[in-house]
Amino acid sequence: MIVPLEHLLILSTTLFFLGLVCVLVRRNLIMILIGVEVMLNAVGLTLVGASSFWQQLDGQIMVIFLMAMTSAEVSISLAMVVYLNRRKQSIDIRSFDEMRG
Amino acid sequence: MSLAELLSLLPQLILALGGTAILMCGAWLPNRRLWLLTGMGVALTAALTAGLMEPPLAEVAGMYGTSLYARFCTIFWALIIALTLMISCRYAELHKFGGGEYASLLLFAGTGMSLLSAATSLVGLFLGLEAFTLVLYILIAFNRTDNRGAEAGLKYLVLGAVATGFLAFGIALIYTASGSFHLQEALAGLQVEGSLRPLGLAGWALLLVAVGFKISLVPFHLWTPDVYQGAPAPISAVLATAAKGAVVTAFLPLLAGLGSAGAEVKSIIWLLAIITMLVGTFAALPQTNLKRMLAYSSVAHMGYMMIALLVGGEIGGQALLFYLIVYSFATFGAFGVVTSWALENEEIQDYADIRGLGYLHPRRSSALAAFLFSLAGIPPLAGFFGKFGIFHAALRSDYAELAIIGIFTSLVSLYYYMRPIIVLFMQDRAAYQLREGCREEFVLLASCFAAILLLGVYPGPLLELIILVLP
Repeated sequence: MIVPLEHLLILSTTLFFLGLVCVLVRRNLIMILIGVEVMLNAVGLTLVGASSFWQQLDGQIMVIFLMAMTSAEVSISLAMVVYLNRRKQSIDIRSFDEMRG
Repeated sequence: MSLAELLSLLPQLILALGGTAILMCGAWLPNRRLWLLTGMGVALTAALTAGLMEPPLAEVAGMYGTSLYARFCTIFWALIIALTLMISCRYAELHKFGGGEYASLLLFAGTGMSLLSAATSLVGLFLGLEAFTLVLYILIAFNRTDNRGAEAGLKYLVLGAVATGFLAFGIALIYTASGSFHLQEALAGLQVEGSLRPLGLAGWALLLVAVGFKISLVPFHLWTPDVYQGAPAPISAVLATAAKGAVVTAFLPLLAGLGSAGAEVKSIIWLLAIITMLVGTFAALPQTNLKRMLAYSSVAHMGYMMIALLVGGEIGGQALLFYLIVYSFATFGAFGVVTSWALENEEIQDYADIRGLGYLHPRRSSALAAFLFSLAGIPPLAGFFGKFGIFHAALRSDYAELAIIGIFTSLVSLYYYMRPIIVLFMQDRAAYQLREGCREEFVLLASCFAAILLLGVYPGPLLELIILVLP
């Protein structure tokens, strides 16, 4: 492996937390979902790195599973975005605060 | 895949293929009741198959096991799915749910749950968990005329997606540290002192965050009351019982396999258990909405289950599974009563609306009272025996402080369980006549009631069965 494992882990951890910050800070639902995508892609990067570190294919297979799962999740969440936008004419998550207590 | 592998996964295949078939046929023949009952039949068939058929292989594709434990869990989740479909019969009619989609989505959720409990590798665990989380995103927002349902769906979607990120990153880090996804090797990799061990522990911490989100441990519980309130009542019942139970049952062998290396992980769970019990109980006290109260009560009950998880071994596992089953029946019954009381445009869930309902609908009100008594742990109902088992196990294995906090919070919980019961049987009635219950609902409530009563006075057979299936 040309790139040391530590470098890869630092990069993917940074990406993961950037995605997390995006989820926590943004108020637009689409931006939140993009943040989640960044988090999941950081995971994919880690898996590929670890797979090459251990000289196994398992990690890469898991990345494929992860991509399949992510696409399913994205299709459901975008359907939700369309549905929420129809109900409230807004995808700002602050407009969804009916329930309290 | 070979025939033997397919046969070993037959119960899950029945659930998944049955769900697909119902989805296809439901498009041609839009008959709500027919598809709900067919779905029930499919779920019961899967439960029977899991119970009666000896699987030819012990493990499939290095991802899913077919141990007695996995089969036992499959039976239980399939039964809960069947019960949900049964109680939804009239609810789906009232709210004009698409019968085929509803039934097939619930069956897919059942597949995910049983795969999660059967997982023997981290990949299997991830796929099982995601399979039913994705389905629940849809089911929570299934009632398209309800703004609260949409809001609940949004909250579960955002938090669920973040939890997925944490889970996946945790698994990736554990893989980086140990070089294997298979549970035994992945857990063994953590026991070796080495430069990679901190990575594995960080992975475990992220995994715990994800599990905390899924089973709503404090401080990751904030979504729970909103989602339970907004989701359709039958779906709240699944969320509170099977969706959480499946994660707990998958976590039990995980923690057991960790062995002595898990001291750090266990100390985190110890802390989570304490704050979950305390915060869950005290946040439930001021609630004036039945579904929100049940949500906080489920948070507190997850805290009790964490005690049993910490104790581990035979007595911990036995106490945990028994408690999980008893809790599931009581919670399911309570949400079942809410389902049965639902009107066309809203669900009766505020305490103000159920005032005096006990005189108008005495059977369903007394059933609700019995379920709440069982959750509070009043003998002779099964909840008492379950709590006794957990606290007994904690006292026997040096977790006395957890047992004391647990007993204290159980006493406090009496207040919030008694409140709706007192309101139900108040003389000055504000409530109006609701629908008479239909036959399916009465059968279901009666069977939940029979289960908590029977398990309370005669728990022996179930306890022996649990000892037999424990991994």
